[in-house]
Amino acid sequence: MLAVALGGLAGPAVLVGIAVLLPALAGRILGRLLRTSLLLTMPIAISVLVVNLFFYPAGQQILFSVGPIRGTAEGLAFALETLARIGAISGAITLFYLTTTPSELVLDLERRGVSPRIAFVALASVQTVPAMVDRAATITAAQRARGLDTEGSLWRRLRGVLPLAGPVLLGSIAQVEERTMALESRAFTRPGRRTLLWHPPDSTLQRVARWVLVALLPGLFVARASGWL
Amino acid sequence: MDTARGTRAGIGFAVGAVLGVVLFASGQAWPLAAAVGAIAADLVYALLDRMQTGSWGSLRVAIGLVAFAVATYVGIIAFGNFGDPNAVDPNTFANTKAANSWALILTVAMVIGAVVTFGLELLQTGRLDSLARQFTTRTYLLMAVGIGVNVILGQTVASALKIPIYLDSIGTILVGVLCGPIAGALTGGLGNVLWSYVIPPPFQYQPAAAFAITAVAIGVIAGFAGRAGFLRPRPNRSTGELLVGGGVTVGLVGGLGWAASVAYTRIFETDINLFPDPAKVDTLFLVLGYLALGLVALAVVGLFALLLVRRDLTAAYVVVAGVFTGIVAALISAPIAAGVFGGVTASGTDFLVAAFRQAGLDVQAATTGQGLISDPIDKVTTFFTVYLILGALANRFKARFPQGEQVLEEASA
Repeated sequence: MLAVALGGLAGPAVLVGIAVLLPALAGRILGRLLRTSLLLTMPIAISVLVVNLFFYPAGQQILFSVGPIRGTAEGLAFALETLARIGAISGAITLFYLTTTPSELVLDLERRGVSPRIAFVALASVQTVPAMVDRAATITAAQRARGLDTEGSLWRRLRGVLPLAGPVLLGSIAQVEERTMALESRAFTRPGRRTLLWHPPDSTLQRVARWVLVALLPGLFVARASGWL
Repeated sequence: MDTARGTRAGIGFAVGAVLGVVLFASGQAWPLAAAVGAIAADLVYALLDRMQTGSWGSLRVAIGLVAFAVATYVGIIAFGNFGDPNAVDPNTFANTKAANSWALILTVAMVIGAVVTFGLELLQTGRLDSLARQFTTRTYLLMAVGIGVNVILGQTVASALKIPIYLDSIGTILVGVLCGPIAGALTGGLGNVLWSYVIPPPFQYQPAAAFAITAVAIGVIAGFAGRAGFLRPRPNRSTGELLVGGGVTVGLVGGLGWAASVAYTRIFETDINLFPDPAKVDTLFLVLGYLALGLVALAVVGLFALLLVRRDLTAAYVVVAGVFTGIVAALISAPIAAGVFGGVTASGTDFLVAAFRQAGLDVQAATTGQGLISDPIDKVTTFFTVYLILGALANRFKARFPQGEQVLEEASA
């Protein structure tokens, strides 16, 4: 959000340096961060570059032409600006994901007052994704043992999607019944807060830093809107 | 649908239609007349419901709907910077202020509508039964599965397949139909936020959080569609009924599509043109345009074929629900895509946006054009998939969900 508030190219670049790269260095995950972040932004970066380079309406200064399609300098500038912004956002999100496990996040949310059931849904959703992928792998193996063609022509593989996707989906949904009973027998619907055996530690310095950042955000928006930045 | 309820719905629809036509004849714009007519229809149905059965539920929802509509109208008139020529960025011709105001106005209006509905219930009964009824343990677990399905399918389609549809609402609509509007809304909203920030790569999709409000709207609409029995199987109908159903569907869908484009042109004061002037546009895009029209014609033929082969009237209901949801989703998400991402979201739809921009439209109109093409197709496919999934589940399993009764076949007398 700060990256969006700071305009231009330099703002987000500096922001990425301070807010993303330095902490990553401190956490010794700079290599992983850069790899993951670049990998994530690659598709959107390519889209942004192509769409803006060639289809920018106000582009005047032509850099090069490919047939009837022209690449403009203004388009390139706009694309780079957008990319810097996207890079800041992506870097921040990747840093977050690399340093926080979902269970820690959910426990902390629950400690701060989010309903334990919603916290459970968040955790269960995050865990469902790899679980479904595993199940899909198992079902693929089972269906292949029964003669499903997964390496033939495109048409054959398309026909194989339903025998794969169907059991995965229906199996996951059918499990809802069992899991419901398991949860209810563990007092899931009991109203009120629960006592947590462990939650992520939170030092005063972290708390102060958070509040400073939050207070900075509206200030930046005001500065940007009033044209000062 | 039992006859009493059918009569109430019929009377409501008639009153709403008459009011809409009267407004239109007196000079109001088509979409405004239609919207007022629809809201009046709902109010009349709710009043009749209250008078005949004594239940306040429908009336509270209708009043909430009125509050939402009024809030949106007030928001557009008073605060929307939609027509401000100074707000148009001279480089991208995007109206970022319009995009931000639109999302903000809709969010605030939705919150107001919800507060009014549940506030009334709290005042009258001291509890929030309609909310509590939707959120059983089963609901939470289905929400988790629904979010998982949303993420996996949505990510596969967005990154790997690069086709101009999304398929990221199957979970939302499934939860909405089986559990209720608020459950569906929460699935959509929470799912999108998790998809952007918490789900680890390779399934992470960072632009998703900006479209959380769209997912919320989809969940709410799916919930009401499920409650109204849209996805109840209706097998073995006569050919006449099927043909009438098909005809009504095509008429409704055509009308909705036209109203949507007119509404957009009026609100945003831009010009979307689905038939670009041949003299100004590359032949390639003209061909693509006619190809799209051909696909629409094919879809109409396909609908009738489906109805007549499966003899299941619900196919028509599915199409209507899908198109309505798709248009609403497109109108909500297009300004967000234009304003926040410049129309580019790293999915297969970017190609369509680029095509529209090449045809001379600004970013706003391009994303709306793309949305009005991709979203209805996507939502009809999704509703149909949900219908197929429901068909494959056991009745005993479905019946235990809060809105499960409404997706079971009606017992013949």
